[in-house]
Amino acid sequence: MWRLNKVRHKAGGHANSLEELRTKRREKERALRQARRDRQLVSKRLLLNEDEEQDTMEVTPGEQDVVTLFQKLQHGSTEKEAFLRPLSKALRNPSAQLTFIKLENSMHLLVGLLTGSDARCRLQAVRCLHELSHSPHTSAASACLPATPYLLTYLSGQSTKFTELCLYTLGNICPESEKVKERLLAQGIIPALAGCIQNHRHNLAVVEAAGFALFQLLQSKDAAQKVIPAVLASSLPSQLLSVLTPDPDFGLAPAIECAWCLHSLTSSSEDHGELLAQGALKQCCSLLVSLGGAVADGNTDQGVELLVCPLLRCVGNLLSSCPSEALHSELGGVDLVAPLCELVVALLHTLPALAKETAWVLNNLTAHSTESCSALLTLNLVPRLLELLPFSQGINTMVLRVLANVAHKKKEFCIRLAELGLLSALTATLKMADQNVVTLSLEVLFMMIVSCPQIAEQFVSQGGLSVLEAIQYNSDGEVRRRATYLLEQHILTEK
Amino acid sequence: MLQPDLVQFIAMGGSQTHNGDEEEGFRGAAEQQVEGNPFTFSPQLLRLHRDHQLFEDGDVFRHMYLQDLFISEAEEQPVPSVSEFGCHISGCRAVFSTLHEYEHHYNSLHRHVCCSCRRSLPSARLLDIHIQEWHDALFTILAQKQDMYLCLVEGCGQKFRTSQQRKDHLIRLHKYPPDFRFDKSRKEKGTREASGEQRTDSAVVAADDVCRSEGVCEVMCGVESNQLEQEESMETHASIEEAAQSEDFSASAQTPETNTERLKPKYSYRVPKTVCFGHGSVRGFRGQRGRRK
Repeated sequence: MWRLNKVRHKAGGHANSLEELRTKRREKERALRQARRDRQLVSKRLLLNEDEEQDTMEVTPGEQDVVTLFQKLQHGSTEKEAFLRPLSKALRNPSAQLTFIKLENSMHLLVGLLTGSDARCRLQAVRCLHELSHSPHTSAASACLPATPYLLTYLSGQSTKFTELCLYTLGNICPESEKVKERLLAQGIIPALAGCIQNHRHNLAVVEAAGFALFQLLQSKDAAQKVIPAVLASSLPSQLLSVLTPDPDFGLAPAIECAWCLHSLTSSSEDHGELLAQGALKQCCSLLVSLGGAVADGNTDQGVELLVCPLLRCVGNLLSSCPSEALHSELGGVDLVAPLCELVVALLHTLPALAKETAWVLNNLTAHSTESCSALLTLNLVPRLLELLPFSQGINTMVLRVLANVAHKKKEFCIRLAELGLLSALTATLKMADQNVVTLSLEVLFMMIVSCPQIAEQFVSQGGLSVLEAIQYNSDGEVRRRATYLLEQHILTEK
Repeated sequence: MLQPDLVQFIAMGGSQTHNGDEEEGFRGAAEQQVEGNPFTFSPQLLRLHRDHQLFEDGDVFRHMYLQDLFISEAEEQPVPSVSEFGCHISGCRAVFSTLHEYEHHYNSLHRHVCCSCRRSLPSARLLDIHIQEWHDALFTILAQKQDMYLCLVEGCGQKFRTSQQRKDHLIRLHKYPPDFRFDKSRKEKGTREASGEQRTDSAVVAADDVCRSEGVCEVMCGVESNQLEQEESMETHASIEEAAQSEDFSASAQTPETNTERLKPKYSYRVPKTVCFGHGSVRGFRGQRGRRK
């Protein structure tokens, strides 16, 4: 189980100083961003033994040891476990991994031990496979393919540690190639995972591992066609949702994995009917609200944001499929508006990217819901939104969309928005360099002015005229057209 | 004019189609009713695919966690970045991080701009004086007979027969420096501040160089004045000759007397002075764009 409050290093490296760690992190982050842009973003997980000290590295056994150990395993009839244990340690070394898989019959031996009658050997064998699955070399991970039918079979067993290792091994090799994925699907990985979560419902480590394995399966490029329909047809959706409970004893890590699975489901496919029918929107919203409250209060476990992120995304995408008439019943009475606003403000300085995602959810909530827009006004949330308008990288654009959604609904809303100071906020945003911000600001201004002539006068008295005139010299044609139209048709004619 | 009721009608229509496609509700009816309404906003449900750019940071965050590089205390807190303010005047590329900076820039460099020669003056009063002395034919005629050059110091009120005399007055009485920037005589109009402008033969002056220099009065955002005047086809008198002459002058020279003889009335309006776009705007159109309108 992952302990979130410890800094962990990937096996094979010492970080001698904080500075080295920082540099390593930055490089890793850069690499991950590039991988995502190349649509190659995949990660593997390595489950360390409980008795392993993460910071002390034993002298890595050389390749020779792997060969020696293998030979001993081949020829010895008893004491196999004594050789398996050091073999699994030796297989942490990437070049040893390559050496091992090239040895004749090596994988055959391992599979034999995996399925043999000695339970301890089975455990050590699966550990060896796990190390191989985590290899940076594709060939090493793919070499595990002969073991997969057994790994899947064992998912319905009762041994927890063993099952956990099987799950992480499967999760690691799953995204390795199309061939591997198709083999696993054919061998029934989806029902196996469903059964596994069912059986081990109360074991956090196993649920987390199963969530991880499912997440890996869902990352494939054609998941929408090949994987998701089968997942939605199984009992997995309801199980994933049942893990999303704010029960503090249940722990964050399993909920994190399951939430990311749900995000993969909702964002890869437009078919949300099944999830909505299972109450996914309501479940995600209530958890989001309770977590959001904790984030806003500042008393959170580290890693809460890792759960908030996928929940936001699920809610955002589910809202986009939810018919507006059904919105209220789907939400089941959960009030989202105020928690979301608080969350945006709370996240702005800690995780601005997440603040932007929150604002996106607010947009989807308010787009076609007059009640939500009304709530924004009556709960006095608009001033907090206005405070977000100076912030760039998509935050102010999204907040302007939300305000535009409100203004679009009713004349009375526009008047109320003007009373709350939107006009002076707009005179600032109209001067910003980002053309999207300026365009949206003009759209909002247009709706407000059209709804009430006094608003035009108010705008002019606040010095808005010169702002619009300046915009007539803007380099963007669409922006100029709007400013000119607004001036000619609605402001100057009023006078 | 778009009626408020019409706005409500369109809004209601828009809300019925909301499956994430491009929303046309507002636009459809509106544009049939009102010619050329460029406003198109309608509330949209945004469905984001998992590969969407908006999800990038969160995904990276997630994978850092998977690869055990997640740290509990964010050592390097990502600071939310603040929107920049960009000068809207086309051709001016100046960008600012605060509203105050932008407003100061705009007020200093774009507010009191002469529509004829596009020079920026620091105040309305100096702009008026400039226009009078440089671009007003009547002034030129009257100046031959009477004292017309007004002292630049507000409240002084004295007038002089020549700009040199005024300059002497400014230096002696008001202790102005001899190279006071806002008192260039007309013949020097082609010159540039030493602070950065290079005279080139090409028409367009890089606006950001210009706008960056503090306290410059001869700011040209756009096309050089002599170039403009040469292109101006209508009602331009002897502009070519003027331009040629102004080429010869260097920064230091000031020959007062010859001003009045050489100056010829020159009308290079693109927009009549009586047309005003309101406070603070350039009283004219931008170079090429204005001409195409």
